Amino acid sequence: MRSFSTYHPFILFIYYVFVLSITMFMMHPVILFLSLVGSLIFYMMLTSVRTLWKEIRFYLFVFILMAVTNPLFVHKGETILFFLNDNPVTYEAVVYGVFISMMLIAVVFWSKAYSYLMTSDKFVYLFGKTIPKLSLVISMALKFIPSFKQQIKKVHNTQKTLGIYTSESITDRIISGIRTFNSMISWSLENAIEQGDAMKAKGYGLKGRTNFSIFTWNHRDMFVFIIIVIVFIIIMFVNGLGGYSFTYYPVLSNWRITGNDIVKYILVMLLVFLPSLIELKENLQWKYAKSRI
Amino acid sequence: MEICKIENLTFTYPDQKTPVLQSIDLSVHQGEFVVLFGESGSGKTTLLRMLKQELAPHGDLSGTIMYMGQNINDLDERTAASEIGFVMQNPETQIVTDKVWHELAFGLENIGVSSPVIRRRVGEIANYFGIHTWFREDTTDLSGGQKQLLNVASIMVMEPNMLILDEPTSQLDPIAASNFIDTLEKLNRDLGLTIIMVEHRLEEVLPLADKVVLLEAGQVINTDTPTNIGVRLKGLDKNHRMLRALPTPMRVFHGLDMEGKSPITAREGRRFLTDFMNGTKLSNEIESEMVQDEQPIMEVKNAWYRYERDLPDVLADVDLQIDKGEIVSILGGNGSGKTTLLNVMSGQNRVYRGKVYVHGKKIQQYKGKELYHHNIAVLPQDPQTVFLKNTVRKDYEEIAQVLYKDDSAIEQKIKDIAEQLSITHLLDNHPYDLSGGEQQKAALGKILLLEPKILLLDEPTKGIDAFSKETLQVLLKELQAKGMTIVVITHDVEFAAMISNRVGLFFDRTLISMDTPQAFFSENNYYTTVASRMSRHVMERAITDEDIIKICHNNQEKLYEKTVD
Repeated sequence: MRSFSTYHPFILFIYYVFVLSITMFMMHPVILFLSLVGSLIFYMMLTSVRTLWKEIRFYLFVFILMAVTNPLFVHKGETILFFLNDNPVTYEAVVYGVFISMMLIAVVFWSKAYSYLMTSDKFVYLFGKTIPKLSLVISMALKFIPSFKQQIKKVHNTQKTLGIYTSESITDRIISGIRTFNSMISWSLENAIEQGDAMKAKGYGLKGRTNFSIFTWNHRDMFVFIIIVIVFIIIMFVNGLGGYSFTYYPVLSNWRITGNDIVKYILVMLLVFLPSLIELKENLQWKYAKSRI
Repeated sequence: MEICKIENLTFTYPDQKTPVLQSIDLSVHQGEFVVLFGESGSGKTTLLRMLKQELAPHGDLSGTIMYMGQNINDLDERTAASEIGFVMQNPETQIVTDKVWHELAFGLENIGVSSPVIRRRVGEIANYFGIHTWFREDTTDLSGGQKQLLNVASIMVMEPNMLILDEPTSQLDPIAASNFIDTLEKLNRDLGLTIIMVEHRLEEVLPLADKVVLLEAGQVINTDTPTNIGVRLKGLDKNHRMLRALPTPMRVFHGLDMEGKSPITAREGRRFLTDFMNGTKLSNEIESEMVQDEQPIMEVKNAWYRYERDLPDVLADVDLQIDKGEIVSILGGNGSGKTTLLNVMSGQNRVYRGKVYVHGKKIQQYKGKELYHHNIAVLPQDPQTVFLKNTVRKDYEEIAQVLYKDDSAIEQKIKDIAEQLSITHLLDNHPYDLSGGEQQKAALGKILLLEPKILLLDEPTKGIDAFSKETLQVLLKELQAKGMTIVVITHDVEFAAMISNRVGLFFDRTLISMDTPQAFFSENNYYTTVASRMSRHVMERAITDEDIIKICHNNQEKLYEKTVD
């Protein structure tokens, strides 16, 4: 169920840029709603219904909190529902609160899905193209951090059995932490020296270093690339003509979806449901291929 | 053709008077497998590093090192980087990047190979080394053995002519080490790769070596084939220290004062003993003493342990009694839960079912420091983690202050311990600058300052050479004589056979057998010492080389009669 992740890192990257930018900068309620649904479905496909349900329970709470907070503090808007402590609570502020929290949660779920797909090596690859040195540094850091953590744990455990600064009191804990940290500095330096030697031994520092990656660009990537770029350009164009404009204050714009609007929203749907559609398609394709064996 | 030729090499480090290497002459031919052997401080690592331009230490140098008929310092940087490969001791620190595939490509990137070529070479090498199954993994998730294999592969991908290895298996468990050495053999055999290595696992390396170079105090004292090296050593000194570091069959051979080509492998040793015994069957009457006490000093009763609620049990119904004054070894494979058992015994982990008693009192009734002062001490697998200060002395002083208030008493205590461990000259060094064996002794010293009654050791033979192993063995026996109770968790079958009063095997989450080493090792067929394997057809219950030699000496008449008949 991870077929979207097999696409080239660049595809993943621009897809997320496009989807996040329409979610974050176009405040149209229909777009926000579609984006939220798209992110939830995709996240579910990457993980499981159970995980999604667990997450939703938490974010529902966040959603309600944010949706309620906005009308309590923002008093713009013309349709007053009631007064709270002499302050008007308006219909527009309530609607805005609902959609702004919808946007935030959509962004959260897109990012969660993104972290599943965009593993460190893809990230390094993307930015390595432009800044080769930086990409190596990131790659080395990603290797260093886990071993640093492991070493801290080892030192901590050993020091515990030596029985100094091991009580539960806060002072002992702080002192013990500082002591461990001190020894970690020497450890890191020692580590760095050996690593430097190993790098030199493998010819690091010679002129004309190349950058290798295991990612290849194939026709599948090209196809998806063309689709998302075209769809995004059209959306931007329509937006430029005012097709997706929507105002919340002082009065809400017209909600009603007419026949002409359908096409506009289908474009957005195409973009936000694309990864889910790809997952679905490859799933079916697999089942079909299997049934023919 | 000579691939590497060292002539009259003398080298002195900048701040020292005596040279570390003195008039070394050595020539290595293409495709040779050369093993360098010597105690720590004999200049092995320095010599290896001199062969690799990028790693050569600074200092006073005379003499020449030629590589393919060219002075090694005149080599083109690119050639030097790719044609001479260097593998270091610690598998962890040599890995540069976070992904296995990236690590494999790293060297090729450095020398500027284009992407399509890298793709092909990396694919080829991954297949050859069997890395393809973990090609896309994170390097930090690999086991020690996999890491070291990756290090070699990431060098082999650059197609070197000569591979230099500095104690590459010292941090690996026996099975991983054995796999690693097999890989080297394959490289040497299939590709004709020249290998120069420093190694202490002679038992496995010597059968592969074409040439053994013995180093002592910066000088090559001998160079010969493995089968003759023992005779050469004996010629220098009948009780040469290096003799005791040789493989078991060789030690038995020389212990019995035989002449000629010595056996190296267990198979050859077995054949040698068959001839030597000439049909006589003997048995070992010596049995390790069992220490029996009414009240065990430590007891683990029906212990169950798991790390988290949803994870499987690591310990299941473990029963173990440790009596006062004995040395108990617990053997077991990687990840069998041995270390967890040790952590349960030292109070670092709490069992969720069952009980642990120390001196007849439940372990959880000890408050904080009580358990670790004058009571239980643990020597961890990685002795480096014991030290927090800049010098060994500062570390010692801090811990001594816990038990002694008086400055002169502290000083005296440190002096005593340092003398006992013969590490007085190391006290003012930085702990990280010590060699593996020294570091371990220093760590043991720090722990002994807490005056423990029970000493728990986790893999004490990991990362130390054969000489330090022998020192450790003597030391543990001394501590035992002073009344200390010692529990050793180890992979090292030979070490366990040498020191223990009782030996247990940890398997499938529990202790499955516990017996005297004689009974334990002579009943096992696979999980046993080399000495036992090579002698079991002619001798009963002989489990160490000393046993075999002693039995032969004690029964000299019997054996002599036989040969006369």
